[in-house]
Amino acid sequence: MAHVVLENLVKTYGAFTAVNNVSLKVEDGEFVALVGPSGCGKTTTLNLVAGLIPVTSGEIAIGDHVVNDMDPKDRNIAMVFQNYALYPQKSVYKNLAFPLQMRKLPRDEIDRKVREAARVLDMTHLLERKPRELSGGQQQRVALGRALVRDPAVFLMDEPLSNLDAKLRVQMRSEIKRFHQDLKATIIYVTHDQLEAVTMADKMAVMNGGFLQQYDSPAQVFAHPVNMFVASFIGSPAMSLIPLEASTVDGQTVLTGAEGWTMALSPLNARKVQRSTTRKIVLGARHSTIKLAKNASPNAIPAKAYTVEPTGDVTFVQALLSGAVVNISVPPNVAIAPDEQIWLEFDQERIHLFDGATELALKAD
Amino acid sequence: MSTASIVKTRAGKRIDAWRWGGRIFLVMMLLYTAVPMAWMLLTSIKSGFAAMQLPPQWFPNEPTLASYEKLLDPTNSVGQDFLRFFWNSLFVSTTTTMLAVAVAVPAAYAFSRFDFPGRKFLFFAVLLRNMFPAVIFLVPLFILMRLLGLVNTHGSLILTYLTFGLPLAIWLLKGFYDNIPYQLEQAARIDGATRFQAFFLIVMPLSAPGIIATAIYSFIGAWNEYIFAYTFLNKNEQLTLPVGIQRFFSENTTDFPGLMAASFIMSLPVVVLFLLLQRYFVRALTEGAVKH
Ligand SMILES: Nc1ncnc2c1ncn2[C@@H]1O[C@H](COP(=O)(O)OP(=O)(O)OP(=O)(O)O)[C@@H](O)[C@H]1O
Ligand SMILES: [Mg+2]
Repeated sequence: MAHVVLENLVKTYGAFTAVNNVSLKVEDGEFVALVGPSGCGKTTTLNLVAGLIPVTSGEIAIGDHVVNDMDPKDRNIAMVFQNYALYPQKSVYKNLAFPLQMRKLPRDEIDRKVREAARVLDMTHLLERKPRELSGGQQQRVALGRALVRDPAVFLMDEPLSNLDAKLRVQMRSEIKRFHQDLKATIIYVTHDQLEAVTMADKMAVMNGGFLQQYDSPAQVFAHPVNMFVASFIGSPAMSLIPLEASTVDGQTVLTGAEGWTMALSPLNARKVQRSTTRKIVLGARHSTIKLAKNASPNAIPAKAYTVEPTGDVTFVQALLSGAVVNISVPPNVAIAPDEQIWLEFDQERIHLFDGATELALKAD
Repeated sequence: MSTASIVKTRAGKRIDAWRWGGRIFLVMMLLYTAVPMAWMLLTSIKSGFAAMQLPPQWFPNEPTLASYEKLLDPTNSVGQDFLRFFWNSLFVSTTTTMLAVAVAVPAAYAFSRFDFPGRKFLFFAVLLRNMFPAVIFLVPLFILMRLLGLVNTHGSLILTYLTFGLPLAIWLLKGFYDNIPYQLEQAARIDGATRFQAFFLIVMPLSAPGIIATAIYSFIGAWNEYIFAYTFLNKNEQLTLPVGIQRFFSENTTDFPGLMAASFIMSLPVVVLFLLLQRYFVRALTEGAVKH
């Protein structure tokens, strides 16, 4: 296993920049999830690391070697493709054996390794089948197995679970996670499913429009998103982002909503707002941190319920506030009707404040 | 009976009518193609006298293989000529086929996978040839061949057949490569293959039906071609079968059983090739060109 370092990585297609100045370091044995919306450059980044496409500028190092000009076959990587890319004319056995044959291993060692991988992935009985005779989940396991038979420096996985049904996805998720723990493997894992990223990864790299937005542990990304994009992208349902106006009333910094209500701020939050250069502030709050009441209370802000979506475990209530949709979750036994008058209370410890112009998170110092 | 099932029976009847129409059509097509073949075969085993009889004998009273024996016997002059024509045809067709595959495979692969300057124009140019009937090129090509000193060589035919066969071959194969996911090659390269190995070990076997179809197509085209062979060659020892048979029997006037036996032997390689490989041919046409 080895670490991977990307430095100022750029990939352009004509005038279009698919990957824009991305720098990050994946430590030896780390599981890094690359997340972001469709078309943000995740696959391109992975293909650059794999050497399947040439870099425009920047540097890629695997272990202690700069691999920019190295062929994919010499980079000592294994890759699981989004659509599996199993060789359709070869049996499962031969699919698994191919990378070993290419490395000219002796026949008996190939056989031993293939059978070992098949045993680990519980597909010994499938070895003679052709890929088209397998279910999606089984194909997925073969794709994983083909990466696993070698011991590469780095595993690259491009949305390996996206074609599976929900149940199988959860199961494979834990299998990949255990595989990572058992092998202490360095893994770069592309997904657009942020739940997968949060549950599996040591670190997540959030990308948007070719730029790396934030690179940190899932907990940090969740708790301290650096900008509005990351805030709304991570977490489900998405964090509510409410545009407000900052002003000073009686020496106190407050935020005012479009409806005219004001919200007093804690000293820390007030300092953040005072340090910002704009009056336009965006308040971010996750559904679980907003308290919903049916009666007025001193710090609560009045709103009207808009839609109510019971999911069984929790009920999601959407309300309109200052022109934005606010998501709130309540226990399923709380009955709320659409258009009912409700009061929302924001937890000063857990709200996020963003600069309305730059969209960056406000800092206290 | 519910309305739903009435509708169903009606729809069922309509489908039946179509199906029967289709079957009748196929039977007619079968007769159209098989009857001349059968007549050829029957005539070839008649004696010269029986072949000319009126009203015709449907099945010869005294079937004989004399015509075949004569054609395949290298000790008489008829057999010598015929066998020479056969080998000439085989040589020209096989060489054409091998060259066609050798050129079409990399060309189609390049058209499918690489984005090089002039790619669209080249591909269009390749197809453009197919928009004109081949005879238009007869005289210009003859002049060209004379300039190149290729008249009366098999090389002139091989070159010509390649010119006419390659466009469709490349187009057919390109459809094939388009349908093979690029990720397979990427996977192979990550698994330790060079670019060429990825093509040779993974993509080539997958396109085998297309390559076989290309080969059959080139072979049959070259095997049956008449006009260019007639124009470019006039030395007896170089003729290919279609021209050879025609010349040969217009000299011996009307040896119909001999002519039919020769025609039958000439059609054998094509029929055998087709029977052996039709599976791939059909797959090539449906998978490569139609599906996207
Ligand atoms: N060969 C190419 N030529 C031109 N543009 C390309 C090429 N490959 C990718 N792109 C563009 O680069 C951008 C990033 O593509 P990429 O495949 O990396 O997205 P992604 O993040 O993997 O998205 P998804 O989640 O949909 O797979 C896209 O806008 C895409 O259109
Ligand atoms: Mg992708």
